[in-house]
Amino acid sequence: MDNLKKIVLAEDNSTLSLLLKFRLEKEGFQLFMAENGKEAVNQIETNNPDLILTDIMMPYISGLELISHVRNKLNSKTPIIVFSSAGQEEMVLKAFNLGATDFMGKPFSPNELVIRVKRILS
Amino acid sequence: MDFDVFVNYYNQLPFLIKVVWIISVILFIIIIVSIFYLKIYRTRLRNSTAETQKLVTEYEIQLINYLYAEEGQEEQNSIIEKLTFCISSKSKRKIIKRVLLKLKKEISGEIAVAIQNLYRQIGLLNFALKKLDHQNWYVVAMGIRELKQFNIKDAHDAILHHVNHSSKEVRKEVQLYLVSLFHFKGLEFLTKIETDLSEWDQIQLLEVLQKNEDQQDVDITPWLNSNNDSVVMFSLKIAEIFNQYEVQNHIIELLHHKNNIIRTKAILVLGGMQNLDFKHEVMNNFEERTLEEQQALFKIFEPLVSNNDEWFLLKYSEHYNFEIRLEALRLIKNFSPDKFALFKETTNNGQFLEMLNFLTDN
Repeated sequence: MDNLKKIVLAEDNSTLSLLLKFRLEKEGFQLFMAENGKEAVNQIETNNPDLILTDIMMPYISGLELISHVRNKLNSKTPIIVFSSAGQEEMVLKAFNLGATDFMGKPFSPNELVIRVKRILS
Repeated sequence: MDFDVFVNYYNQLPFLIKVVWIISVILFIIIIVSIFYLKIYRTRLRNSTAETQKLVTEYEIQLINYLYAEEGQEEQNSIIEKLTFCISSKSKRKIIKRVLLKLKKEISGEIAVAIQNLYRQIGLLNFALKKLDHQNWYVVAMGIRELKQFNIKDAHDAILHHVNHSSKEVRKEVQLYLVSLFHFKGLEFLTKIETDLSEWDQIQLLEVLQKNEDQQDVDITPWLNSNNDSVVMFSLKIAEIFNQYEVQNHIIELLHHKNNIIRTKAILVLGGMQNLDFKHEVMNNFEERTLEEQQALFKIFEPLVSNNDEWFLLKYSEHYNFEIRLEALRLIKNFSPDKFALFKETTNNGQFLEMLNFLTDN
């Protein structure tokens, strides 16, 4: 269990979270779920994940603030994949400026996400 | 005994104080009743929210299990059976639909298709199709929206039937359904529509069309010739946004349309396409055209101007309309600097000189 790569998933859509959790756990990753940015910060600080998956729009702390926290406050280089919806192109640019590693536009294919996760963590 | 003291005290009070007491007691009772009512209402709401949340979680798990179960496997069939049973309850049907939609909005690929299949298999599609025949317009509109959200293309004919529905909302949903699911092919409704397409409807439809990556060619000629002016305007916008160069000759014909707004838009669209044929046609009967058309020509004139047009610019640098005069002078400054300098030297008109100075500085 300790050898499993750890992923923090910050997503406020509970159905999508559950789907991705199921899919990524099937691929052999250990998932830590967060329904909002605040929970995500706690999960990251507690579990020191190998990868962070985060939505941009989230309650309490947004995905952008989360990236900023990870890069500037925790000084962590953990890869971050950002989920964005249509019309959030400017946010994606901001996310990259803050240090995001990759992004996926919603709606996205979970299979494609798994490929990207594996590539980043390999 | 205590009560008698209170009654005696009350009877001795002046009339006004008695009234105040009565009102105070009534208000006190109302407040107490309201507090109890709110308490009960809030408890009920909390229970209902908790119950809904419990069902959402339950259905989310069932949905995920369905999506990752082998197709045709017993587990999948049992989930379909359970959900089919649940949708007979209106409230549960609503929750199941919400859960399916919540995931469908965020996911693409085969999982999105699987959600769509589940929507059909558990019978939600039949409920949505029934809504299309409902007597209340808002139920019809909701049915169409739901079919659009779940990408149900085979409801096309049943929905197209409502293209001229008496309700504006239903018509809007029909148009959005057709364009969202069938893209340019969905625009066929423009041939059938008898009502006006509002400016807002047009903006929404164009937004959906622009999102579509497969921007295939579509023959908009029949709609440019439509008797419905809003359809003609919308077609002109399509021609402008999607660079429909092949219909330029049809747009030139619109320069003689009875509607001034369409003639003006046609000038702007042709100008954007840098069509030279229309330029001479508009220049030759410039005087007979409305002020809006004249302004439209000057608005798009710059890339079309040639040396032979100097006479035209000189003539209309004295136009009665300020904007046209200013634009003509600006073009003269760019294309005939000598003439412009000569104007400055020779004019005695103060306002004219002010315009020339403004153009020199800007």
